[in-house]
Amino acid sequence: MNGRRRVIAAAAIFVLGALVAAGLLEARVQAPAQASVKPAAAAPGQEKPAAVRPARERMAVYVVLAWVWLSIAVLLGFLRMRIREADRVHRMGLVRAAERSLKGPGL
Amino acid sequence: MSSLRAWIEDRLGLRPVAAFLAKKEVPCHTHTFLYYTGSSVLLFLGIQIVTGVLLALYYQPTLAEANASVVRIITEMPLGWLVRSVHSWSATFMIAAVFVHLLGIAFTKAYRKPREATWLSGVLLLACSLAFGFTGYLLPWDELSLAATKVGTNLPKALPLVGTFLTQVLRAGEDVTGDTLSRFFIMHVSVLPLALLAILGLHVFLVQRHGMSVPLDAERDKLELPAIPFWPNFFFREAAVWLVLLGVLLTIAVFAAPGLGPQADLMAPAPEGIKPEWYFLFMFQTLKLFPARILGLNGELVAVLIMMAGMAAVLLVPFIDNRPFERKGKVVTALAWAGLAYAVGMSIWSLL
Repeated sequence: MNGRRRVIAAAAIFVLGALVAAGLLEARVQAPAQASVKPAAAAPGQEKPAAVRPARERMAVYVVLAWVWLSIAVLLGFLRMRIREADRVHRMGLVRAAERSLKGPGL
Repeated sequence: MSSLRAWIEDRLGLRPVAAFLAKKEVPCHTHTFLYYTGSSVLLFLGIQIVTGVLLALYYQPTLAEANASVVRIITEMPLGWLVRSVHSWSATFMIAAVFVHLLGIAFTKAYRKPREATWLSGVLLLACSLAFGFTGYLLPWDELSLAATKVGTNLPKALPLVGTFLTQVLRAGEDVTGDTLSRFFIMHVSVLPLALLAILGLHVFLVQRHGMSVPLDAERDKLELPAIPFWPNFFFREAAVWLVLLGVLLTIAVFAAPGLGPQADLMAPAPEGIKPEWYFLFMFQTLKLFPARILGLNGELVAVLIMMAGMAAVLLVPFIDNRPFERKGKVVTALAWAGLAYAVGMSIWSLL
């Protein structure tokens, strides 16, 4: 089971890493061509899409998003370990025992 | 480090709070997931405050500049479109979380004695959240927001005696104008945040005062439910939920950023397909369905009175369903399900 989880985690990191790398490459390729792109003015009566922005910024945001999810995955793994540890300590009653020993016998 | 801690402790005296948090326990049962909805509201509120302040740095609440300043925010400011998108989606998520939280409380009957005041403050928080949504909708000052605000602020007019006065107070005059925009902006960034934070403080205090509710069966049979410490066991679980919600919010904000309509024209006729935000859709559809006259009465007045009665019933649920805690209020549960089905059905109908 642990081996399977490790494989899934490695695959997820690989996919996210590939996404990040692809985003960086694409941003680099598009940077010179899109550097002077200005947002197009919307025709009267038309809705302005909020996503009117240079391709470079768009790609940068996608890259940041990939990093955000990668960070979330790492933090979730870290939190999972902390939760297991905290639950284990709680089950064993270590915290309560420590409190009792601090108060001293008979209190 | 310890001297800094001692300095802070001398000034603020936070030791009782820390001791309280260290001893606080969270019951574990089938409804434990509902506890996360309350903290999710806090997360989205925090995001709203941060992104709202950022937007307010560039937004100008005047007739000439409101729409243009939003255009500047989404096209010229670095990542301005993303900040606006996160603000907009976070509002949606927050109101959804408030609804889920409130429905969870309603279905588990957690509003009963001694938590009546907690329920009242919660419903007031929902009202504040909806008012945030209503006032914020006008701020981009585009055709759709102007038309929807005209419809929304026209509703109280149907009430006898005070109706016209209420509409004038909302609009800062007879019609929706630049003064309405200024008034809504002040409400959105000043009055409502102060009210919300005050009620939220009371709500959180009451939750701590009465503790977290447990299922009816456990309460009736006086079962000793297993519990985990709030710190760190429950806090870390909450942090995990917050992280996932944050990721989902950011992803949706990036891929589904809201657009902006053409600048509102006070003289132009109302555009076709006026629709309020999703949380007002069921009221909007209800109003559309009511005929002009019902038994000789103004149809709009009847609709407004029915909606007000519904809101009053929601607010006063703890006093309507005040039977002994052991008995399940099946009628209230059935009414809550019926109300939910009605709201969802009407909203979908309105979207079709």
